[in-house]
Amino acid sequence: MKVIEIKELHKIYNSSEVKVHAVDGVTLDFQEAEFAAIVGPSGSGKTTLLNLLGGLDYPTSGQILVDGVDLSKLKSSDLIDFRMRNIGFVFQAYNLIPVLTAKENIEFIMSLQKVTARKRNERTFELLKAVGLAERADSRPSKLSGGQQQRVAVARALASKPKFVLADEPTANLDSKSATTLLEIMHELNHEEKITFIFSTHDPRVVKMAHRVITLEDGKVVSDETTE
Amino acid sequence: MITSIAWKNIWRNKTRSLIVIIAVTIGVFAGIFSMAAINSSVVQRIDAAVNDELSHIQVNNKDFRSSADIQNTISDYTGVVGALQSTQGVTKATGRIIIRGIASTATKSSGVEITGIDVEKEKEIFTLSEKIIPGTGSFFETETKYNTVFIGEKLAKELNIIRYILTPGAIASLREERIPEDILTKIETLLGQRFTSDKKFVKAYEKILETNEIQKYGWKIKEAAWSYREGSKIILSFLDINNNQTGAAFRVSGIFRTNNDMFESFSLFVPIDELRQLTGMKEGTFHRVIARLENNDITNNITPVIREKLPDYEVLNWKEIQPDLAMITDFIDQIYAVFMVLILAALAFGIVNTMLMAVLERTRELGMLMAIGMNRRKIFLMIMLESIFLSIVGGFAGMAVSEIVIAITGRTGINLVKYSEGMEAMGYSAHLFPAIDAQFFVTTTILIVLTGIIAAIYPARKALRLNPIEAIRTE
Repeated sequence: MKVIEIKELHKIYNSSEVKVHAVDGVTLDFQEAEFAAIVGPSGSGKTTLLNLLGGLDYPTSGQILVDGVDLSKLKSSDLIDFRMRNIGFVFQAYNLIPVLTAKENIEFIMSLQKVTARKRNERTFELLKAVGLAERADSRPSKLSGGQQQRVAVARALASKPKFVLADEPTANLDSKSATTLLEIMHELNHEEKITFIFSTHDPRVVKMAHRVITLEDGKVVSDETTE
Repeated sequence: MITSIAWKNIWRNKTRSLIVIIAVTIGVFAGIFSMAAINSSVVQRIDAAVNDELSHIQVNNKDFRSSADIQNTISDYTGVVGALQSTQGVTKATGRIIIRGIASTATKSSGVEITGIDVEKEKEIFTLSEKIIPGTGSFFETETKYNTVFIGEKLAKELNIIRYILTPGAIASLREERIPEDILTKIETLLGQRFTSDKKFVKAYEKILETNEIQKYGWKIKEAAWSYREGSKIILSFLDINNNQTGAAFRVSGIFRTNNDMFESFSLFVPIDELRQLTGMKEGTFHRVIARLENNDITNNITPVIREKLPDYEVLNWKEIQPDLAMITDFIDQIYAVFMVLILAALAFGIVNTMLMAVLERTRELGMLMAIGMNRRKIFLMIMLESIFLSIVGGFAGMAVSEIVIAITGRTGINLVKYSEGMEAMGYSAHLFPAIDAQFFVTTTILIVLTGIIAAIYPARKALRLNPIEAIRTE
């Protein structure tokens, strides 16, 4: 089942002197429970594509349909609401809320969605267990290692059962062991929760684990390979 | 959860938040305490005016105040008192005879207003009987065959009834008050000398003491040397009912001390029967009827009611008799407004600065919150709450400190004796007992919260203008 349909997507940045065609006519589909990596050299348009997919930016032209909803047609306020309900984010720098504990960080999105306290609690502990941090539920981010923080970030991204998770270079700040653990956890959650994961990455370990690798160059898709 | 995050956020940078909170605390305390001190000064002045000098309502013969003629009496005293006592809110009423005259001693004389009073009723209406200086006699309690008079300290000084003599006892009392020995040694040169006025006494010790010693101990030395011979006599001269010059010798029954030099130097009191006998005024004739109300606040409402009941008389309330008192209460409200504007402006700037820094420091986090779906309304609310919490914590701390200090100084008082001469000349006490009503605290709380809200608008709007993509990339 198609989760995302991208049709003839363009994103052009107009700076004072030059036009930058960051995404240039991309057409792609993502299926439910895909584990896809978007790769390419710096400046190839990976992050821009991810921002457009995440509804953080509007395309210059083209369409992004998520379950049939065209993101480019949504108002800014509706887009925020759409992101909250349908998209999970994992950032390179973890970006947890420092004043909240691991448990509270995971709960946060659900509280915005007005999920009941009991359900929030159940889901939070299910995810904390899944990412191997049940014992660190009450630790603040500053007391967790980088790998542990990123695992909490993954749990947070999945908390509201989104349609897909966008992860921008999730392993870039992690050591090899932490990165491997994180990828294994994400892979397992992708399998169990049937949630689509889309990564932008330079990390060969991510590429190796991905079922599908999309290569961008100068904003264009130059290859789209499915591996098993 | 937004509330919880906002609360936790203000404690991220404890030092910065504490500085803001302490600044707010000091500002609020300074404002409230100053207002309490000023307010108490005015309240004390109004209380003194109402309790010792004017009462709430005065009813006069219509021509009495303009001419002060002894003939201008109240024609129907019983009817006037009846009308007053039947008015709701009036507690007591009594009549007075008031004549102008001259008080003199062997060396001095002074123009005075002689008030004939019903001693027992007067005690129920006024507190002047309680203002007697210990050791100077009583409020007409001593049986004597002589005419008696109750006078103010200022008049007693003017008439040279009070003198300044540094006795060994006075030196001993100063030693008990821990006045340094070298000062005592210096002033011992004045021992036994009699000074007929405080000016002469001050002049004498100014020659002996240094300026700083005078500033520090002068008033204590003056207090210790204050001397009065009980039963001193003064002569009162005035016109009788037939406009013939008359007068008599009066023994000083007691000397009162208020904070109003003018009142002390001009007003003296004698039992009404003694004055009737000397003036020839008939029983039941009075120049003025004074009435007490349940409290000051009902003055404006009750005055027109009484005025309607007594159309043939001049009915005045204390605000009309001394419009400066009414004006000062309005003035205090204006001072309060200015104080609060200054405090709240300082508070607002402190909060704007702190919150702007907080927004700047948390740009990436705010970007992330927007990205994961926290809408603008909630981000705005979070920043607002942080600002409100800062203001509330500082505001309440300031109010708590104010409450404690006001409670302590309200009991012990603040002694501004250095400025007593100037203050008492205007009728204000140099001993302040700060007090403020609960309403003031409620208003202040509301204003502080409102300031917190207003001050947060700019930083919160700044946060809303962030672009999540750029914000997330911020280092």
